[in-house]
Amino acid sequence: MKYAFFPGCTMANRLQFAEKSVRMIVPEFGVELVDLAFTCCPEPNAVRSLSEDTWVTFAARNIALAEAENLDILTACAGCHESLTLAKHELDTKPERKEKANEILKGMGLEYKGTSSIIHVHQLLFDEIGVETISAKVVRPLPIKVVTHSGCHLLRPQKILQVDDAEVPVKLDMLCEALGMDPLEYMDKVMCCGAGVRKTDSDTSYAVLKEKMTSMVMVEPDAIVVFCPTCFITFESGQRITNRLFKTEFKLPVFYYTELLAIAMGLPDTDALLADHRVKIELPEFSDTKKEDSESIPT
Amino acid sequence: MTTRDPKDSSSESTKVEVVSTAPELRIGVFPCKCGKNIGAVVDIDSLAEYAKTLPGVVFVQVNRYTCADPGQREIEDAIKEHRLNRVIVASCSPTMHEDTFRKAVKAAGLNPYLCIMANIREHVSWVHRDDPDAATDKAKNLVAMAVARAATLEAQKEQDVPVTQAALVVGAGVAGMQAALDLADAGFKVYLVEREATIGGIMALLDKVFPQNDCSICILGPKMVDVAKHPNINLITMAEVETIAGYVGNFDVRVKQRARYVDFEKCTSCGDCVEVCPVDVPSRTDQSLTWQKAIQIPFPQAVPSSYFIDPKSCLGMDLIRCGKCIDRCEQEAIVSSDTDHYIDFEVGVIILATGFKPASPEKIPRLGWGRYPNVITSLEFERLINAAGPTEGNLVRPSDLTKPTSVAIAQCVGSRNIDTRSGCSNFCCAESVKCALLIKEHYPDTEVTIYYQDLRMHGKYFEDQYLKAREEGVKFIRGRVGEIQQYPKTKNLRVSVEDTTHNKLQLLEYDMVILSMGAEGQSGNFPLPISCTADSFYIESHPKLRPVDTSSAGVFICGGAESPKDIRDSVIQASAAAGRASIILQKGRYPIEALSARIMQDKCNRCGTCVKRCPYGAISEDGTGKFTVMGALCQACGTCAGDCPPDAIYMPNFTSEQIEAQIEIALAERPEEKIVAFACAFCSYRGSDLAGISRMQYPANARVVRSMCSGRYSTKFAQKAFELGAGAVLYSGCHLQTDCHFQTGNHWMVKREPRIRSWMKRNNIDDERFRVEWVSAGEGKKWQTIMSEMSEVTERHKKSQPKLKKPIAKPKVKSKPKAKPKSKTATKLKKTKSKSNSTKKNATTKKKTTGRK
Amino acid sequence: MVDNSHNQELEDLREAARPCFQCGICASSCPVFRVAPEMNPRMSVDSIITDGQVPAEGNEWLCAYCLMCEERCPMGVSLTEILMGIRNISSKEGKAPPDFVESAEALLARGCLSPTSNRSVKKRVDLGLPDLPQPDPEHVKLIFEVTGAYEVLEANRVAVKEEAE
Repeated sequence: MKYAFFPGCTMANRLQFAEKSVRMIVPEFGVELVDLAFTCCPEPNAVRSLSEDTWVTFAARNIALAEAENLDILTACAGCHESLTLAKHELDTKPERKEKANEILKGMGLEYKGTSSIIHVHQLLFDEIGVETISAKVVRPLPIKVVTHSGCHLLRPQKILQVDDAEVPVKLDMLCEALGMDPLEYMDKVMCCGAGVRKTDSDTSYAVLKEKMTSMVMVEPDAIVVFCPTCFITFESGQRITNRLFKTEFKLPVFYYTELLAIAMGLPDTDALLADHRVKIELPEFSDTKKEDSESIPT
Repeated sequence: MTTRDPKDSSSESTKVEVVSTAPELRIGVFPCKCGKNIGAVVDIDSLAEYAKTLPGVVFVQVNRYTCADPGQREIEDAIKEHRLNRVIVASCSPTMHEDTFRKAVKAAGLNPYLCIMANIREHVSWVHRDDPDAATDKAKNLVAMAVARAATLEAQKEQDVPVTQAALVVGAGVAGMQAALDLADAGFKVYLVEREATIGGIMALLDKVFPQNDCSICILGPKMVDVAKHPNINLITMAEVETIAGYVGNFDVRVKQRARYVDFEKCTSCGDCVEVCPVDVPSRTDQSLTWQKAIQIPFPQAVPSSYFIDPKSCLGMDLIRCGKCIDRCEQEAIVSSDTDHYIDFEVGVIILATGFKPASPEKIPRLGWGRYPNVITSLEFERLINAAGPTEGNLVRPSDLTKPTSVAIAQCVGSRNIDTRSGCSNFCCAESVKCALLIKEHYPDTEVTIYYQDLRMHGKYFEDQYLKAREEGVKFIRGRVGEIQQYPKTKNLRVSVEDTTHNKLQLLEYDMVILSMGAEGQSGNFPLPISCTADSFYIESHPKLRPVDTSSAGVFICGGAESPKDIRDSVIQASAAAGRASIILQKGRYPIEALSARIMQDKCNRCGTCVKRCPYGAISEDGTGKFTVMGALCQACGTCAGDCPPDAIYMPNFTSEQIEAQIEIALAERPEEKIVAFACAFCSYRGSDLAGISRMQYPANARVVRSMCSGRYSTKFAQKAFELGAGAVLYSGCHLQTDCHFQTGNHWMVKREPRIRSWMKRNNIDDERFRVEWVSAGEGKKWQTIMSEMSEVTERHKKSQPKLKKPIAKPKVKSKPKAKPKSKTATKLKKTKSKSNSTKKNATTKKKTTGRK
Repeated sequence: MVDNSHNQELEDLREAARPCFQCGICASSCPVFRVAPEMNPRMSVDSIITDGQVPAEGNEWLCAYCLMCEERCPMGVSLTEILMGIRNISSKEGKAPPDFVESAEALLARGCLSPTSNRSVKKRVDLGLPDLPQPDPEHVKLIFEVTGAYEVLEANRVAVKEEAE
């Protein structure tokens, strides 16, 4: 299997270790990644708010790049996945949209045809590779209690994205179980992390995060597992700010799923992945992983 | 009396008795002045003179009021004296007086179907008052069109079929029971078929029923016993209808009854067997809140009062595998050799009371049912609060069996949601208020909050219940519950709802939440073609005027199968259905539509399109590839004929030949000025009549061709009109969606529009010259507007005429309608011949067009 | 009340909002409404339907775009599409929030929203991540030009400047 890899701006520039973990695990399942000259997906919230046309055209260009190489796109960020998938839906269901976009793409020597599909690493692992295959590769089970957060933009709209059930998502939990983890049921599991309003009203954003994390800590998990770099940053950096704003005491490590997968599979150099985590990982299960209590914040 | 066999229509045409055996065509025309209504505008004398010149016309008589007694008598006399075999009354709309004149000709011994009308009042004198010359010309033309049509009118036999004096009632919930009891009390034999092991339906599971909150089984139980004991009711439980053949009055029913394994005559319901049965399965009656055994009785009051064995959970009725119950039963009531079997019987009418099923809460995952034990459905609540239920009437939380101190009730669950069912359930508001009152009655200290979107306490006494609930301290908050989340430790529930009165979010904790469930339809699996709504409820014949009839004659609906409803409405409807059904049973004979379609086997190409078009399931294939029409089911709309590729379907008195003859006559002179307007009998034609009755004036260039339904208009009629140079063509029908009297005729007609338009494009005919319009019987004004607008089109077309070369090769206009052939066989041969000619013509046109594609 | 009825875009939004029967499921599902009562998706839709205008409070910018309301709407109203439409209209009027404008500027300048710093480049090198191929800046400019993003950006730049003054 070969995919055009779409790490997205946030992962490539702020969460490099998560990107690294994806690039580490895929060859183990026979997947090859190709890098193309993608722009930002573009981010569904900000860019689309300004101009729907601009948003859909950027997305059309990105997809057209992959189509030119006859490749499907593998996304790693929920936001990118949503943006590209919704834009593709627009382009595929509204011929006038597609025509308009193609007029612009022609100037770049590109054409949107609608032949490439877009899948997220979540889907690659659960739907394409499967829990059993993953389970079989685990050499170092991680018996920790986790709460999972699939992310709004992987779940909704369910009819178009079809990643998991929008109200009762279970697939990420199953992926965690495959690594020996104990995923806990918690309230507000499908609630937003708050990232969406950070740019317009950061206080509100952290108030949302506080609600979400209050529900999470109720079941006393060891860590949060996510599948989106934006959610990752919100949970990880956001909990410190939330603690400051609302006098809360959140201190939950956050993982991008493939980091845990890489560790559980016993791949080399996984300590480099965890080095940049900002909430210390004080779990015995990770004791032989080199810890760097780095306060350095990638910005 | 011989009745034709409606199952075999192929022999019909030969069986039809032609009352008039006169060898030649002898048409009588009766122009009517209608006082001044027609006479003041149309020159009736000149019309009469003109009529005399028309082929086949042997007698013309003008009258002042033809519909009055003397006028009718003159027609009768003329028929006898001049040996008339066709009668045309040129007066008002056939909607008005066709029936009157048909009776008159019948009195004179002529078949009533040989009398037709030319509408020179609503279509002429009333709408062209200011142009008497044009009006007279149009009247002449309309009479000529009628004469042309009359040439091939056929006598039709008015028939009826005998009715078997028995009824099938499907479903023995409260509606089915009521219908069965009513019919049985009226003296008719009733077969009552129930799927479950007991009768009683959903009502038997309820604790109290609104609005008086009386005990459900206390009022239903005696009725169930009545059903069981009634000598006229043959109760067949654990059974489903497998097949139904036949038609109104004569349905052959086959029912499949599942093995009960317990002889209900011997069973005393002592319950000894239950004590020894080792198998536990979730209880159906108690909504899986508790367990039951493989040998079981749904509830103590069940009818028949007998246990049965669920073979899926039974270990085996032999001593090797288990057989404990057999060993224990002193009555020796257990029949291990019992098998599924068929029961066949005949009935004259059918009542469908198959009910609804409670909506499934698992379809709404945001409310947590199935994941959170303390979220229960209203039906689960009924079992919990019921003294005969699993907790003996103690309301407890399923998670820890403690008494809830706060309960929220969420309404509209499974209703008013496009993903489940968009309609209102009709009962969940009253159900919620009842639940709240029951809780308050048992546990006055328990807090109860009802979250509603629109509280619809519409029924008699309902508002009193609402008031009582408020007095008891039940809280009512407007806002629909968005989600329910469970607190991980306490298993309490957090309800999220926006109080839309105050625009405030409420995130409140409750011990228990009751989902007030709506209903889901389960109709449509019945072995008869009764149309259903998208949400699987049966569709009534008319939502207001025929609410318990269906499109299939002799089949009625009632209760939850028709739409979600409460007990009172179900009972009302059941009695109504029984009443309607007993009319048919009591008469003993049922009249059959005389104008049923017939398939001309020599022309049929066996494509089966007609089967798909028929809304009544009247056309079937006999296994050898031959298609036939079941006369008793056919309603004569002609939609099958409208789409029949080889034009092999014969619609008596609305034949293609007759319609084309009318088109030819209408366009014989100055065709480019004419509008050929097709109108269906039930909406558009009545709309055109209304324009006349309202004296709405419009140009006199329209020629209306009437048919039963717009489904009858083939594409070739418009093509024919344009080939003859028509200025414009109108296809008008009942409004789309639900207005069509024949259900779907208009839908099929409008599907032909693109084909007509592409044909027009290929033949350089301006798009505006063809219109499809929906005109209801109340839209006279719309008819006037359409006529005026289309006249502008013909004006434009006429002006552009000289620029064009000859439009399209004109087939010769037949100036004379064919004379009446000598014998029936001749009629048939001739018909077939001329038909095949026209088909050939058509085929060539088609070939050309496909070639160009 | 401002009469916006002439506005075709608004009319389209109104059409999309028409099935709404104001049940409040959207609001009860909204994570923002939970902490910020001034953001009520039901009221935004109501304002479109009944007043035919963009909600005066500008609450559309508080939407977190989590699509919860849309997923749950029993009438199938696409609330996020409507809120996005409202935002598009507001943006044309120069009312976009400064951070969104900044994002668009970043996209225009680099084809990417997150800033690439020396530090982040170094991180990639340290982790042995590949250099990502860069998009043709002309492509980015072209899309901005043709899709009207320049005008929207300009309208908002002016607004931001005025605000600053």
